[in-house]
Amino acid sequence: MNGIHDMGGMHGLGEIGYRPNDVAFHAAWECRVHALVTALAAYGKWRALRPDIEAIPAAEYLRMSYYERWLAALTARIVKSGLASRAELEHGAADPKRGRSAPALTAETAGTVPLQTPRTELAAGAEPRFRVGQRVRGANLNPPTHTRMPRYTRGRVGVVERVRGVFALPDNEVYFRDPKPQHVYLVRFAARELWGAGAAARDSVYIDLWQDYLEPA
Amino acid sequence: MIEHPDSREHDHDHQAVPSDPALRVRALESLLVEKGLVDPAALDVLVDLYENKVGPRNGARVVARAWIDPEFKRRLLADGSAAIAELGFSGQQGEKLTVVENTESVHNLIVCTLCSCYPWPLLGLPPIWYKSSAYRARTVIDPRGVLRELGLDVGDDVEVRVWDSNAASRYLVLPEQPRGTETLDEAALAALVTRDAMIGVARIALPGGERS
Repeated sequence: MNGIHDMGGMHGLGEIGYRPNDVAFHAAWECRVHALVTALAAYGKWRALRPDIEAIPAAEYLRMSYYERWLAALTARIVKSGLASRAELEHGAADPKRGRSAPALTAETAGTVPLQTPRTELAAGAEPRFRVGQRVRGANLNPPTHTRMPRYTRGRVGVVERVRGVFALPDNEVYFRDPKPQHVYLVRFAARELWGAGAAARDSVYIDLWQDYLEPA
Repeated sequence: MIEHPDSREHDHDHQAVPSDPALRVRALESLLVEKGLVDPAALDVLVDLYENKVGPRNGARVVARAWIDPEFKRRLLADGSAAIAELGFSGQQGEKLTVVENTESVHNLIVCTLCSCYPWPLLGLPPIWYKSSAYRARTVIDPRGVLRELGLDVGDDVEVRVWDSNAASRYLVLPEQPRGTETLDEAALAALVTRDAMIGVARIALPGGERS
């Protein structure tokens, strides 16, 4: 979607706030949100929280801190997936009629599950449409839903550097639609192709793009 | 990894009472525990995991090994996930790990413009600035300006490669080994390697404080 989260190339978004030994969390509740997301993801009721984060209205998104966005997305996803009802969240008390669950992640599994690398690559099926060294153009796609194609690649010509293998198309997979397994390509875009003559001649941006995002150039 | 309150710099951190989200998270957790959906002991294990066990020391070990073992480095650059598994590293956000090598003529830099993709098994969870809107927005369009602002000047004769990691792969920068460290052992080399060098926004400082 053409949302505020698709920030690559924007100006005016404030300070980076870099500090050399910066931490991951502002506050203790943020670690707790991170842990809650991992613990609840183990139910397998959603593929990713990113679509819910991206659905936060732009003005809210910019006002919120990173983990406030996670909290908002997690809360929305808990209700949509039926893990808890809106009324339960509002009252902060379990509805006795809804019964009690067993935690998907226990103290035993919590120490091991996050250390297993997910197998995201799928078995190769069809031959890749593009080959290494081929020029490709970012397609003019404007889905109002989740995509991994940043808008700065649209209409721009790059060169295939590597064929990554076959992966589910996130645009569909996150909504449990046809995963459309397809090749992913590492594509190199010259900085000048993306940003014009003001960019350094020798610089470039590398990004993985799904086959559906590309057309021959 | 939680910073001490005294070191906080951002305005919204100066709060004597728990902030609103802190209260909401507590209420949410207690509801989920009451419903049997969450085991609070499991949350403690997860917090401990990412605060104390999974972090940049892992990545530093990988870098040091690559510096002393050319065969390991070759495998690391060819298939990052398989190579780090040799050292016992794996986990969520470690899939299809791609390691990119800094040299005299190439400087690599990692960003996630759409969100915050980051190689958790090697670096832990990303620092606050990595998730900032400005870093996500500017790094692809003005990498040299961002690096300069962060204290790293890259010469005009050096090619800058920005890796926008928002898809199938996670990325790690293999920094250049500082000159004069060839006689150090693996552990001493690992101690030199910083998280920010493995993101590509810093060089490795020599033990004496001099930058390579």
